Amino acid sequence: MSRRDAIRDAMRVGSLGALGLSMGDLFRLQAAEGGAFTMTKGVQKTAKATSVIQLHLGGGFQQQESFDPKPEAPVEIRGSFGITKTKSKDFLSDNFPRTAEAFDKLTVIRSLVGKIPDHSQATYHLFTGYTPTAVIDYPQMGSIISHELGKKTELPPYVAIPKQNGFAGGTGFLSSAYGPFEIGSDPGKGSYKVKDFSIPEGTSIERVDRRNSARQIIEQRIRKMEADPDMLDTMDGFYKQAYSLLTSPEAQAAFSLDDETEETKQLYGSDVVGLRGPDRKYHPKGLAERLIVARRLVESGVRFVTVTYGSWDCHVDVKSNTLDQMPALDAAIAGLVTDLDQRGLLDSTIFWVTTEFGRTPKINRDGGRDHHARCYSNLIGGGGFTRGQIYGTSDATGAEPARDGLPLEDLLFTIYNQLGIDANKELLAFGTRPIEIINGGKLAKGLLA
Amino acid sequence: MIRKLTLSILTLAIWMSQAAGEEKAPGFRGDIMPILFRAGCNAGACHGAAKGKDGFMLSLFGYDAKGDYYRIVNEMVGRRINYAVPEQSLLLTKATGKVPHTGGELFTEDSEYYKTIYLWIAAGTPDDEGKVPEPVGLELSPDSFVFEGVKKDGNLKVTALYDDGSRRDVTSLALFHSNNKSVISIDEHGKMKSTGAGDSHVFARFNRFTIGAEVIVLPPAEGFTWNNPETHNYIDEIVFDRLKKLRIVPSELSDDETFLRRVTLDLGARPPTPEEFHSFVADESPDKRAKKIDELLADDAFADLWTAIWSEQLRIIGGNYAPVGTHIKAAETFNEWIRTQMRTSRPLNEFVAEMVTASGSNLRNGPANLYTMMVHAPRLDPKAFAADFSQVFLGIQIQCAECHNHPFDRWTMDDYYGFVSFFTGVSRKPGVEVREQRIFYDKKAESAKHLVDQRPMPAKALGTVEPVSQSGDPRRALAGWLTSPENTYFSKNLANRVWAQLLGRGVIDPVDDVRVSNPPVNGPLLDALSEHLVESKFDLRSLVREICNSRVYQLSCAPNTSNKLDTRQFSRAYLRRLRADVLLDTIVSVSGEGKNFQHYAPGMRAIDIYPRTNGSTGGDHHGDMFFETFGRSDRSTISSTETSSDPTLSQTLHLTVGDTIMQRLDANGMIRKIVEKSETPEAALEEMFVLALCRKPTTGEQEGLVELIGNATRDVEVFEDIFWSLLNSTEFAFNH
Repeated sequence: MSRRDAIRDAMRVGSLGALGLSMGDLFRLQAAEGGAFTMTKGVQKTAKATSVIQLHLGGGFQQQESFDPKPEAPVEIRGSFGITKTKSKDFLSDNFPRTAEAFDKLTVIRSLVGKIPDHSQATYHLFTGYTPTAVIDYPQMGSIISHELGKKTELPPYVAIPKQNGFAGGTGFLSSAYGPFEIGSDPGKGSYKVKDFSIPEGTSIERVDRRNSARQIIEQRIRKMEADPDMLDTMDGFYKQAYSLLTSPEAQAAFSLDDETEETKQLYGSDVVGLRGPDRKYHPKGLAERLIVARRLVESGVRFVTVTYGSWDCHVDVKSNTLDQMPALDAAIAGLVTDLDQRGLLDSTIFWVTTEFGRTPKINRDGGRDHHARCYSNLIGGGGFTRGQIYGTSDATGAEPARDGLPLEDLLFTIYNQLGIDANKELLAFGTRPIEIINGGKLAKGLLA
Repeated sequence: MIRKLTLSILTLAIWMSQAAGEEKAPGFRGDIMPILFRAGCNAGACHGAAKGKDGFMLSLFGYDAKGDYYRIVNEMVGRRINYAVPEQSLLLTKATGKVPHTGGELFTEDSEYYKTIYLWIAAGTPDDEGKVPEPVGLELSPDSFVFEGVKKDGNLKVTALYDDGSRRDVTSLALFHSNNKSVISIDEHGKMKSTGAGDSHVFARFNRFTIGAEVIVLPPAEGFTWNNPETHNYIDEIVFDRLKKLRIVPSELSDDETFLRRVTLDLGARPPTPEEFHSFVADESPDKRAKKIDELLADDAFADLWTAIWSEQLRIIGGNYAPVGTHIKAAETFNEWIRTQMRTSRPLNEFVAEMVTASGSNLRNGPANLYTMMVHAPRLDPKAFAADFSQVFLGIQIQCAECHNHPFDRWTMDDYYGFVSFFTGVSRKPGVEVREQRIFYDKKAESAKHLVDQRPMPAKALGTVEPVSQSGDPRRALAGWLTSPENTYFSKNLANRVWAQLLGRGVIDPVDDVRVSNPPVNGPLLDALSEHLVESKFDLRSLVREICNSRVYQLSCAPNTSNKLDTRQFSRAYLRRLRADVLLDTIVSVSGEGKNFQHYAPGMRAIDIYPRTNGSTGGDHHGDMFFETFGRSDRSTISSTETSSDPTLSQTLHLTVGDTIMQRLDANGMIRKIVEKSETPEAALEEMFVLALCRKPTTGEQEGLVELIGNATRDVEVFEDIFWSLLNSTEFAFNH
């Protein structure tokens, strides 16, 4: 037996109630051949955090221009920017003035160690904790968290804003029901509207009700045939759930920016721009709104929100790339962490800025930096992570960790730990093959308060 | 405690004296390895894990006996084996749980297992000398069981056959499992107990072999009357024969409307038009169903649907990233080549053989794109390619055998690496223009090397012993072996895929997970379908015609009391959600409003769309949001389960408020026209039902909907709402 196919059929238990899975699936599973899904027990842990907001900077984020500047290195390493001091006398790149202000709530990790400087494989590694193999497809962290913790409210437990990263893998050997609900629309755009999530304008609630009534009349014939009662229950269940999400003011409001004040939007930097666009005009980047929606979703009970921002693969002209995209990033990070703290949500919410790898120490002849996985930076805060800390250091050029090198697996392990999930726990793929949530990860105590 | 110990030493002394006598000391491969296997020591969850467990590693299920001997005897001298005090060897104290052991107690000191290992250690852990008899197969007796009802017992006896002709009862050394514990349970001694009516298999594993026995647990005989259903052809005879054995009565024949919709969707990838509906219902000729099948088979749409299925299976994606060789032009060449083969009824074995042996330009020689599309990468990775190749064309997943002999099938690492070697020489070089890649076979390429001992494994077909003759390109020999009528793996795989396409479930299911431990639910049926394919010279249409003309295909989905719970013996039609592309084409067809796809001219059918992109073709590509939402394969792997028909909330949300339906409710004023020309609401409803569901409304539906309409008999919006509910009904989204 092997691979996704065998697995998917065998692995569907537990997904009941999550997106996409049905009673029918469960019954089919019980009748299905092959072993049932069980798992090796992990250690019971107390959760310090209940939710995660992941801000993913795809393409490979330049740590030299952001979290790990090298002010004393030669210019070909140092680059074009200076530094700014935090209150605790640590320093970040001067591209991060607002984040430096809010730094007493955050931890910068400067010694993260990845494995492969390839976008597709490194992104998969980041999202799943494993490098890709031909035989086993591993689930994403958001899927595992949905699987382990379940839904808190009627909202789906795992949401991607606006969509998940294309290299991030999928639900692996877990049911596809654990995949992210992609909102499919950018909150940062004026046209923002969650995909297929609202009753079309001009359609009255009477019409919606009439449609559903007519549907019920038409369903009776096949119901009476008793062709596949489980499947019909499933379909009816989805129609009920859809109706309730479409008509529930709370569910609708969780995705909406309507209740947010101008002040809040500015706190997140909604008016911060970068370089002029091709049309010679300045445009806000929309990250502020994405993170505001992420916060609203967490407030409404979503477990894992993944937000993507920017395009960071700057093989050419790292300076322009930085000047264009970094100001909005700085403002949004500072805004979100401040806002979470003010609302008393920072202790229960992990805010995590990720990238699949960093950039090479030396600027290349095109003024860019290339892929570098051996030592790079992430930012993390909330959920019991230390407030105001630089964790680990890179060597003089930023090529290798100099102190406290942190394997990616350890970081993931520690995040799971804060959510009350023992990542040593084994999930059974193929019904028989135990797979640890994180293979060989250790708790990075130094990251925790 | 001391007394117990003394006692056991005493017993051991007796065993030892026996050992010193006429009994030969146990051998490592013949006696010790089977115990490690049986006790689960070398299972994947324990020391058989890739990095071992708790510092001790064994090869998974014992594929590397030599290495296991070393790790047990030599790796930690004095610990795992203690010659001076054998009973203090960790091998024994761990297994009996006398010292802390993650795996707990596996056997007791008074077991045969303990005795054998003890004697082996006491004899100085002899390694095997000379040739050790190799198991060559297993026998089960009996090899099938019929239980009259639940709570009945049975025993399985397992015999191993060795290459020196000897036989040995290995029941106490084999592992057992049941494929469905709600039908039959089996314990570690091979004792069975029937638990519920149905059919399943129990399996025994020993060494690298798995063997199964069929189990039928009969429901009560009372209340069961075989109704002697009419048979149309041999398919019915075989399926009904099986059903009769299982005391399952098949459902009735479906009515004409249901049959018409079912077969038109299955063969034509579209719903019947109202004209087709009226003329089919009015036709009184007794062979009208057969004629309809022939008519649909003759239509190009049939070929186009199968082009879509092959295109998905072979992962055609058109891109614009030159080094991978998957430019849109190459994709189009390949896709159109497939279409030509399907439209001209090219025998399927020739169709496959031409791809397997193809070389030359990806832009001009369509079939050569097997080597650019099936695995999207700048270079062809022979291992990844061999794994996909075997899964697509044989339904067999051999990739497990890359690292260990397949635990639940016959495939060994020798099979795997020999098979990979067919492709180690497949190479590409840039053509005359940037988009072009030329596929060629590099005759100097080396064979794949065996993982354990690095010996080169020349190309050899699966399950054969001798490598193919290595003069030049071995793909010719591969194609010959693969597509020959004698290779039933190939013909059964194709027949099973065709059957699954039409019945919603394979005789082996999933269709690309063929293995000893996943046997066909009806072996004779698969044999017969496969034979039909071979006898018809691999004619796809001939097999489809045979299946669609069977009564089994034409059964109603309404169950009776005896087949309500049947989900795998084809005693009734199963509800099948339409494939994403067929569903979209069906929505377009009944609403009369076309759909545009990115990178394509307007007005294409969804089944003609393969994903196109401006960039690289690696990763996921759906080609359209609708496809993504409704589970069409993203072509990131060749797995059959990439194509999903599982309902999800997102699908319901999309059909409820998404643009696919919203844009089409009032499209072209179609519903308005129906309302305006209909004299009564009943007439309008009838027209809409025939259009959307290929049937007239029932009296209950008429009454209910007329009541819902109330006075608004001329209100187009009300009828559009009813149209919405037709398009959102289970009957619409499913074939039934």
